[in-house]
Amino acid sequence: MSRMLLPWWLMLTTALFPGVSAQAFDLDGLLKQIDETGKDLETGLDKLDKMRGKVSAEEEIEIGGNLVSGLLGAAPLVDDPRLQRYVNDVGFWVAAQSKRRDLPWRFGVIQSNGINAFAAPGGYVVVTLGLYQLLENEAQLAGVLAHEIAHVVRKHHLTALQKTMKREFWSELAVDVVDDGKDRESLRRLIGSGLKLYTTGLDRSYEFDADLRGVVLAARAGYDPYAFLDVLTTIDSINPGSPELSVLLNTHPPSAERLDQLAAKMDGRLDSYATGAINANRFRQVGVGR
Amino acid sequence: MRGNCYNGAAMKSVLYILFGLTLLIATVQANQQGVIVRQSTVYADATSAAASVGRVQAGVRVTIFGRKGGWSEIFSEQQGIIGWVRVYQVREGDFTDGAATTQQADSRGFLAGLASFSRRASGFFTQDETATSAGTATIGVRGLSEVEINSAQADFAALQKLQSFASNAQRMPGFSAKGELKAVRIPHISGPK
Repeated sequence: MSRMLLPWWLMLTTALFPGVSAQAFDLDGLLKQIDETGKDLETGLDKLDKMRGKVSAEEEIEIGGNLVSGLLGAAPLVDDPRLQRYVNDVGFWVAAQSKRRDLPWRFGVIQSNGINAFAAPGGYVVVTLGLYQLLENEAQLAGVLAHEIAHVVRKHHLTALQKTMKREFWSELAVDVVDDGKDRESLRRLIGSGLKLYTTGLDRSYEFDADLRGVVLAARAGYDPYAFLDVLTTIDSINPGSPELSVLLNTHPPSAERLDQLAAKMDGRLDSYATGAINANRFRQVGVGR
Repeated sequence: MRGNCYNGAAMKSVLYILFGLTLLIATVQANQQGVIVRQSTVYADATSAAASVGRVQAGVRVTIFGRKGGWSEIFSEQQGIIGWVRVYQVREGDFTDGAATTQQADSRGFLAGLASFSRRASGFFTQDETATSAGTATIGVRGLSEVEINSAQADFAALQKLQSFASNAQRMPGFSAKGELKAVRIPHISGPK
């Protein structure tokens, strides 16, 4: 009998539901129960596979739009159309150097003293006014935007979200069997998990990856890639106890470590692009609230 | 007294002083003061392929002559070393009195930003009447705190507004030309050189 071979899901089920095997004395009943749970598990796994890496660009944009709406609910856009358009021009130009140039890229500066920047799936990037005001030139702005663009291009948030959902999926399974899942409800939970990501942070390796990809993007766009290292140096020089830095430092590796890693990986390979544009004048002319 | 102002010799010395001051200011602006932020190898030229002329320790004060690519030329009086270090290994600013003073001579200087940051920070804290000192003024700090993000209500009208500022491909030729930006093909970096 093939059932005697203990399929993988039976072992898993016994591990997940120790109570089931203890209570069921009737072998047929137990096997039937396990069969059903196994089917449920398989359905769940199918769903999961469908979700993993198979989110369409449209779905990605929808998820991103929802996440950004959440962020905008926490901090509104700075009321300065000229500034917003300028940031969109710089961002669009940098994003155009990436392999996902066809996404509907949207950039914004939000009214917050916190020093931070956020990316959301589908091409959304938001920078806080606190961070913007630390910057001294367009190349630094391009560097910050390029780091966030790299997160989007590499689907870092999406991957992290899928991992979170996978964990939630399993924990729910341990209590109940797989629910059919109403789309609206799962979307709501996805948004909730996504927003939480902005306070818990991505995997450190994703941040280092975005740092390195970002400086290359900035250099491709004709900017001095070292301007981003200047931004990290500036952040590194601010008192880490500053409330403005709390979320950034909770969600990113220390700036000094990022600088060391980034510089070691760049290894002088972008030095010939360090003569790229800085555009301090254009940056100053736009200013904030002028 | 008034006559002295038109005295030729006095006028000359005033001019000399003015000229001297101009020279002094020019020199100060060209050579930045700075501090080494991480232990660094100093190279004879702006490349790691150049000969090493020594090492400087973190915290050593230096004079920065200028920048070339990702490199800054420095002089350490303390160690008698002159040469090149990576730009991120040295920080601009006069640290002689233990605290950085603003010296905005170079658009790349971080101090300008830092000073504006502290100005904003102090401005903010004084606006908040409930705050007693900067150290305890976390209440009332507007920002994307964990609580604010997690309790936020989605604002879809703001999303619409964000969309309205979007740029597009048609704007790019003008934007890049005005900023003298030229796109370059560069492969992504992976693995050792």
